Amino acid sequence: MARSPRLALAALMLLAGPLAAQRGTLVMALPAEPMLPVPVLGSTSASDADVADQMFLRLAGLGASGRLAGDDAMVPELAASWRRRDATTIDFLLDPRARWHDGVPVTARDVAFTWSLMREPVLGMTQAPLEPIANVIALDARTVRVTFRRRFTEQVYLAGFSLQPLPEHLLRDIPPAQLTRGDFVRAPVGNGPFRFERRVPGQFIELRADPAHFRGRPGLARLVLRVANDPAARVNLFLAGETDVLPDLPPPVIAEVAKRPQLRTVSVTSGTVSYILLNTRQASDTARANPILSDVRVREALALALDRRTITTSVWGPTASVPEVVQSQHWAWVTGGLRAVGQDAARARRLLEAAGWRDADGDGIREQNGRPLRLTMILPGTSATRRAAAVQAERMWRTVGVEVVLEVVEQADYLARRASGRWDLEIAGANQSPSPSSVVQSWSCASAAQPGSSNVARFCDPTFDRLVQAADTAANPVAAYGAAFARLASVRPAIGLVAPTNTVGVHARFANVVIRPVNAWTDLWRWTVRPDQLLPRDR
Amino acid sequence: MPWLLRRTLDAVLMTLLGVAVLFVLVRAMPGDPLTAILGERSVDPATTVALRARFGLDTPLPTALAAFLRDAVRGDLGLSIATQRPVTALLGERLGPTLLLGALTLLVNFGVGVALGLWGALHPTTRRARLLSTVTVVGYALPTFVVGVLLVWLGAVHLGWFPAGGLADPLLAADADTVTVLRDRLRHLALPLATMVLATIAVPLAQQRSAALETARAPWVRAARARGVAPARVAWRHVWRPALSPVITLLGLWLPMLVGGAVFVEAVFAWPGVGSLLATATAQRDLPVVIGGGALIIALVQAGGLLTDCAHRATDPRRRRDP
Repeated sequence: MARSPRLALAALMLLAGPLAAQRGTLVMALPAEPMLPVPVLGSTSASDADVADQMFLRLAGLGASGRLAGDDAMVPELAASWRRRDATTIDFLLDPRARWHDGVPVTARDVAFTWSLMREPVLGMTQAPLEPIANVIALDARTVRVTFRRRFTEQVYLAGFSLQPLPEHLLRDIPPAQLTRGDFVRAPVGNGPFRFERRVPGQFIELRADPAHFRGRPGLARLVLRVANDPAARVNLFLAGETDVLPDLPPPVIAEVAKRPQLRTVSVTSGTVSYILLNTRQASDTARANPILSDVRVREALALALDRRTITTSVWGPTASVPEVVQSQHWAWVTGGLRAVGQDAARARRLLEAAGWRDADGDGIREQNGRPLRLTMILPGTSATRRAAAVQAERMWRTVGVEVVLEVVEQADYLARRASGRWDLEIAGANQSPSPSSVVQSWSCASAAQPGSSNVARFCDPTFDRLVQAADTAANPVAAYGAAFARLASVRPAIGLVAPTNTVGVHARFANVVIRPVNAWTDLWRWTVRPDQLLPRDR
Repeated sequence: MPWLLRRTLDAVLMTLLGVAVLFVLVRAMPGDPLTAILGERSVDPATTVALRARFGLDTPLPTALAAFLRDAVRGDLGLSIATQRPVTALLGERLGPTLLLGALTLLVNFGVGVALGLWGALHPTTRRARLLSTVTVVGYALPTFVVGVLLVWLGAVHLGWFPAGGLADPLLAADADTVTVLRDRLRHLALPLATMVLATIAVPLAQQRSAALETARAPWVRAARARGVAPARVAWRHVWRPALSPVITLLGLWLPMLVGGAVFVEAVFAWPGVGSLLATATAQRDLPVVIGGGALIIALVQAGGLLTDCAHRATDPRRRRDP
């Protein structure tokens, strides 16, 4: 009998353990105010997506390996499991414990409803990546059946990662065009580890942990997502200790972080890549071939004339890698064999000579039939890094007799110019999907023919298309994609400049820090604060 | 027709004309307004058509202008493309912080600046007056963002005396007492306000000093001094009041700065004001926000002009004879 109170006390302490552990506040500064932090309804703003990922789960998440091919590559989120019916049909079984934050169970109808919204043109989602999905239906309350148009190895990834359900019971009576104007986007009801708490317009959003979440109790009690549009302001807030994490640290800030014992850095592979895009179509008439850049020898010469390592190191720092063409670090598992060619000005000159470009009048610029080898490069005025890289490249090209006129244009004008194809060269940036199969969205003949696609250079190489198509269903995707990217490098539609590593600054009091290469903050709910390092804001 | 009514009607007409011109110019800007929601994302033509119809971007310019003016008169400035919220609501949310910073800047500039300008004019040859003049000119010569970056680095990052940004501490308890809230607001105001004041106080100070220097040499001032009028009364009644005119004009011109003049300061200090809203909207081509914000500034310019004219008539009896 005497032991009973002690046992009860021990049981209470065991129960209180997790309660005590759920302390901690993480403050992060976002580059834009998350006005529509809801999947499907949100804009392209990364801030919207980062906040939405805390409140809304996907059917399946990316595994630690980063592998996407195969039915076992993904890990359960809303779907507890999935089973394949045939080569083009997969059933996802929802976790019966999943609830919306208002207590209503998450059902297959929510998933089918969300799919119907994703297909609404008026909501503006890019349809090309979803094209392989033929249909999404609810078989019963828990089972979602996804049918694909064809067989490919990343079916579970495509469906599981793309489907981030919205609550049908709250949204079904609202016309799609009105969804973004209602109360739901101001105070979303999600199903993720954090629930919406409050918003102070222009300043911050606060999310609170859902202590009864079916995946487990979050390690942090709340997230405060502040707004700071200016990059320098975000750095100041972090160094002053007012925020706890800061992604994409530039080299000077990494040095500042190193001086502060309360801060540390975490390196994460990144899907960001920048490259010089070579327009193979004529700037004035995109239906016709570019008189200079349609010749692969000229494109290769432009690549060989550049000391890309020097440009990348001076602009993006010594840790950034140089990709051969357009691959970010996400695709390193299939493009690891590709190495960026080094500078070889002599070979560049020989290639230009062979292509018929010679400096007959001795002014330092090559000509062909009286036409100078002159190209125009457009740059957005907002990017100091692209401008710095362009200036260095322009000097290097001049040494082999190529004149490049740099045209700095205002951001919105730049986007319009690049979409219309009125340029010869541009420094493009992309944040790539983890799947190398997404390369077809910007580099296939189909995308070249499609108005409004991201293949703004109208690049088309049927051989590359065939290789990617084969890789999509290959038993050995590494070798198959490797061959496709080797082909892309050989026809040279672009010159890779930088595939940076994402260096994230983190306050040292956090434990269990996991930052994902894709959708970086989806594991914030696993973070905890070390009990002996609590700050006043954590208590 | 009474002067005030005629002058007000002029201001309203000029505002409408200005807004119409702004509307046409903004719609003619290069760049696609769908950038606000699509960014660099590409969509198929059917989606583009649906989005253009949804945001009224396919409406002919004259029809769109007429609809905008009709709605604007009723206080409806349309919907933001990027955020899908009424422009008036967005401007309303940002107006408070902007007016707070702008109004305090004007108060300090036209209170302390004018007083220092007057003092400098009355003691033009002293070392302190020359030092004051030098310091303010140096402050004026420095770009606002440089002053801001220096102050935030020193005051927030290095010394930790003030917050590095924001209007308020997001971690402050919702039920915090008034004193705590007030102290927090003042701490957050300190650096942006100091930046704004340091970068701009030289203008009213110099204007006031120059005008007061001129009136200090006027015959009525010499006569007052000869009559033995107390120096403080000479300064107040005989020098300062006649020298107010250029400062009043300057104040009227600066009223629009209350709204749109602190873009850099708002960026450096993450201050949630109208300036940063308009800068972002312009970069994104969120046309309804650009036009709505521009309309607000045009209205303020006209209001500033009207108030200036009223103030001139109140302080200078000669102006009351103007038709």
